[in-house]
Amino acid sequence: MAGAGLFRVVAVALAALTLALPILGGPLAGTSLGVSPYLANIVGQIATFALLAIALDLVWGFAGVLSLGHGLFFALGGYLIAMHMLKAGYVHQGVVPDLMTFMGWTELPVHWTLFESFPYAALLILLLPGLVAFAYGWMSFRSRVSGVYFAIITQALTYVAMLLTFRNDTGFGGNNGMTGFVSLLGMRMGDPSTAVWLATASLAATLAAFLLCGRLVASPFGRVLVAVRDDEARLRFLGYDPVWPKLAAWTLSGVLAAIAGALYVPQVGIINPRSLSPELSIEIAVWVALGGRGTLSGAVIGATVINVLKFWLTGFAPDLWPFILSGLVLLVVVGLPNGLADLRAPRLARLGRARHDP
Amino acid sequence: MHFFSMLFLLAAFAASSAHADRASLAQGVCAASLGDRVAALGALAEAGALGDAEEARWALRIVEAVNDRTLRCAASGVFLGEGAAALDAITLLPAVAPADATAPPINNRQRAAAASAAAALALFTEADPALRARAVTALERRREALGLPIIDAALAVETDAAVAESLAALRARLLLSDDDPANRIRAIEAVAQDATLRNRTLIAEALATEADAAVRAAGEAAMARIDSRLAVGRALATLYSGLSYASVLLLAALGLAIIFGLMGVINLAQGEFIMIGAYAAWFVQNAIRAAAPQFIDWYLIVALPVSFLAAAAVGIVMEALVLRRLYDRPLMTLLATWAVSLLLINLVRVTIGTQNLEFHQPFYVTGGIPVLGDFIVTLNRLFAIAVAAAAFLGVVAVLRFTTFGMNVRAVAQNRAMAGAAGIDARRTDRLAIALGSGLAGLAGVALAPLYNVNPNMGAGFIVDSFMVVVLGGVGSLAGAVAASFGIGQINVAIEPLYGAVAAKVVVLLLVIAFIQRRPEGLFAPRGRR
Repeated sequence: MAGAGLFRVVAVALAALTLALPILGGPLAGTSLGVSPYLANIVGQIATFALLAIALDLVWGFAGVLSLGHGLFFALGGYLIAMHMLKAGYVHQGVVPDLMTFMGWTELPVHWTLFESFPYAALLILLLPGLVAFAYGWMSFRSRVSGVYFAIITQALTYVAMLLTFRNDTGFGGNNGMTGFVSLLGMRMGDPSTAVWLATASLAATLAAFLLCGRLVASPFGRVLVAVRDDEARLRFLGYDPVWPKLAAWTLSGVLAAIAGALYVPQVGIINPRSLSPELSIEIAVWVALGGRGTLSGAVIGATVINVLKFWLTGFAPDLWPFILSGLVLLVVVGLPNGLADLRAPRLARLGRARHDP
Repeated sequence: MHFFSMLFLLAAFAASSAHADRASLAQGVCAASLGDRVAALGALAEAGALGDAEEARWALRIVEAVNDRTLRCAASGVFLGEGAAALDAITLLPAVAPADATAPPINNRQRAAAASAAAALALFTEADPALRARAVTALERRREALGLPIIDAALAVETDAAVAESLAALRARLLLSDDDPANRIRAIEAVAQDATLRNRTLIAEALATEADAAVRAAGEAAMARIDSRLAVGRALATLYSGLSYASVLLLAALGLAIIFGLMGVINLAQGEFIMIGAYAAWFVQNAIRAAAPQFIDWYLIVALPVSFLAAAAVGIVMEALVLRRLYDRPLMTLLATWAVSLLLINLVRVTIGTQNLEFHQPFYVTGGIPVLGDFIVTLNRLFAIAVAAAAFLGVVAVLRFTTFGMNVRAVAQNRAMAGAAGIDARRTDRLAIALGSGLAGLAGVALAPLYNVNPNMGAGFIVDSFMVVVLGGVGSLAGAVAASFGIGQINVAIEPLYGAVAAKVVVLLLVIAFIQRRPEGLFAPRGRR
């Protein structure tokens, strides 16, 4: 496997960053080597995007299931952590969330019960998106909905979820979403150290997911996934039931996306329905496509490259970004079928994998 | 005295010498009894209404003089104004009012009658429809000087539709408050002839103060009758607006289905092709307005081929530059067409702006034909339906009866075999993309008089049109029709009850539930999976 070396490089880089950031942003902050909280925040955000890309690459790159709706799981994780932070702030610090004010609630509804407890919220962040992913995946894979159909329906699902959360009466804060967080696990929002610790946690989570998925795709289970991608009908003919491996990968992917969302929201301080827009969900696929599907390192690199570019460009030319993004996508899908990996091994791409579309 | 006033009134009705009438009418407002003076104001209004415009202006003059107390009564005649500056009330020529001329006493009842008479006469003297409408509103409150002959005369000469409508309602109210119960029942029956919500309210209002049991029964029966017809009308109206939404969906989905059926490419930019069609229509409108303003009403017709070609051209460019390299990678075409849509939206946003475009509404898309109850066949929706129906028939004809159509069907069934039989599959693809994009362009024209046109308009249609394709099955025209009508109707039926979002949720859940059973769509041919 050509990507094995790159895999190690990315893993080492992630590990190094995870270890270095608390030092560079902590004791060394303010020195010439130090990392500002602003920069740490951006690194943290990009790490959650990389996690999101890993999640999508697991199902798209390896199992051949393209989701244009991973924003749904991302937002689910984000809304759950936001509910935890609002509830905890309300219970412990007595900060009344804006949400309650404009909804005219005198107290938080029943389903917010226990949300002040972090373990409970964390459990839900793992369980709820997992359950949603499982239910939807089970219905789709069982009836052999796949390919473009599957992708379109995931997008429609996310779109409908966006329409629902935009409404005030669904209790997600409508257009304004949820914001005004006070603290998370005792760390006050807005503190420089909080930014550094959140970024470190995001890097650590991304590294863990990276290693976990790396082990997974190299295992027999991963071989089955690739077989599903390459020829599902033949696999079925050989006696395998492709539903369960697909479902397992899909559910894990949903949970990883939710974790990314839960790490992302405290760092940006807001969650609103725009994270459910088809735009974000498709962008995730763009990161993966750019980095190269089917290699986890490609997913991390793609997400990093595009988002660094985005942070840098939206600073001085926000109107330019959509043009750059669409240009990049067209360039990648037309010119570099395996993403940036093609830049290193153009001949390989032309010979083999380029012909194949999972 | 009463006898004399009766004489005056009779004289007012007689169409003899105008000045003799005027004399008796003018004498009437000088009558000694209050009741006579009030009656005289009514007679003035009626004389003005039944006479010519000149007579109406004269009557209004007298009524106003009574109201602002410049009218003077004397034994030698009736005058407007005092002393040497006075006018003779009958001829309106200068005359000297005698010193003993007095203003007739006036009270609130008389003032009300004067205001009512003035409003009634304004219906005949005012040239501005807005002022006439205000006069009708005044008459609704003050009916003292109002009689059926006046309203009928006003209806006969009224040119403004809105004023005429409120006059008709006023007439109905007047009849419904007739003194004779038999007449009231007759009035109820007459009003109930036209089953509209407005007429139902009229009857309900009249019944609120009705004492007579027979009239009540008749009124309630009439209201029940109106209710059932209104319900049918509402159902028809819902069906109709669902039909118009479905026809726009059908246009967008037909293109998607053709492209998907042929190449397995889902065109995420189809919504933006709708937008391009609408913008092309806007350019056509502006060009016609600049070059030949007298033909501005026909721009929508001119826009049909122009928008079709504009969207088709963009589709061909997209095919040539992007899609042809991706035919064996359907999932990548999703990303590619999404990038195209992002590019198109932002190009339009940067070059033209994000505001909603202003469209001229030609006569053939404004107004509607009332059918039953409050159900009106609005012409803008009819236009969309007509465009969709014509385009659908055109597509069916092209696919059935032309060589190109045969090639499309052959390539869709078996690309390699079609190629072996000498069909240029790539050329067929390109033409099919042009056809599919062009159909979206037509959808843009069809909805230009119906919806907001801005760079983001495509997003609203894209999800629904995908649902149509998923539900209708790939490349199946009958399926696309059935699915678009189903989805259009569900949207419109649920929207008024639970809102647009609920409609989308229900459609999506139905589609997900549906493809559990039939992943190939409604009308897909049976085959191996």
